[in-house]
Amino acid sequence: MKWIGALLVILTCFFTGMDYSRRLAQRPKALRLWKNALLILEAEMVYSHATVQNACENIAKQIGDPLSGFFLSVSKRLQYEKTDLYLIWEEEVDQFWTRAALSKEDKEIIKQFGKTLGQHDIIQQKKYIQLAIVHLENKHKESIEMNQRYGKVSGSLGLLSGVFIALLLL
Amino acid sequence: MGIFEVVSIGIVSAVLVLLLKDSQPAIAYLIIVLTVLYFLIFTIHYVKEILQLVTYLGEEAKIQSFYIKTILQIIGISYIAEIGSNIVKDAGLESVAYKIELIGKIFILILAIPIFQSLIETIIHLFPIS
Amino acid sequence: MVGDTSILFQIAGIGIVVAMIHTVLKQMGKEEFAQFVSLVGFIIVLLFVINSISDLFEQIRAVFFFRG
Repeated sequence: MKWIGALLVILTCFFTGMDYSRRLAQRPKALRLWKNALLILEAEMVYSHATVQNACENIAKQIGDPLSGFFLSVSKRLQYEKTDLYLIWEEEVDQFWTRAALSKEDKEIIKQFGKTLGQHDIIQQKKYIQLAIVHLENKHKESIEMNQRYGKVSGSLGLLSGVFIALLLL
Repeated sequence: MGIFEVVSIGIVSAVLVLLLKDSQPAIAYLIIVLTVLYFLIFTIHYVKEILQLVTYLGEEAKIQSFYIKTILQIIGISYIAEIGSNIVKDAGLESVAYKIELIGKIFILILAIPIFQSLIETIIHLFPIS
Repeated sequence: MVGDTSILFQIAGIGIVVAMIHTVLKQMGKEEFAQFVSLVGFIIVLLFVINSISDLFEQIRAVFFFRG
């Protein structure tokens, strides 16, 4: 009985550490995906003069899995609801972030970007998109560094702390 | 047989101390202390039996219980001083260890004063000087 | 009987784990956390040892100084 409890404690701490390291590994990927999405959005808006709704639909077709759902639901809601774009954007971002491996700062960048979406002429809009991309680029570099630094050891750290607690309680 | 247990625990603790010595010297030292304490707790039961024999003999020989008690206290103080000085010596503080031994000796002397006094009085009674 | 010697292994295990956490944290560049973990491990082990010391002293007092 004692050993089962110790094993449970160790496994729990180990999986917590593994989950943290998985999130660290996924953050650069997610940020790169967002950057790609914004690049596509820029192309759609600046060169083919698409509406935000059409642009979102096109992005959803071209981009990878977690983000495509986000853009698809944004475009759907834009089509059927008569609310502000920013409100829809914010709600969808909030919903998306419950599942994503991204930090609050990344969320703030995307939200701020949503505020500027569809408010200006094409030249201004392009500038705002570029600004958001630059921000995301910085975050991407930072997340890669974080992953290199903490990604590998956090798993073993979780395991070790689990063993430590189990030994204390034994 | 207790001796096998003592030896095996000593060897095991030596290995554990070697394992921890260079990464966590403080914890390795505490393992040494703990081993010593276990040995002493182990021995104290046997010492108890011996002391019971000593007190029994003293009572049979009609010696005042005060003397027996003092002797036992002296033995106890010497044991505790020895343990303390050895533990401190293991940590490398030789001078503190010597001070502990010295203080133990002084306490033993203080406890021995009444016995010594009664001895002198007996001698004086045996050979009246004046 | 020497009593419960598993505490010896427990403390050795705590020491090994603390040493490993120390190295891992040092590798991560968190020196102050590594120092802190070492200190916590030491204090925990010290608590065990203090219990044992008080146990020994109680027994010595019971055997040698039964009325004092």
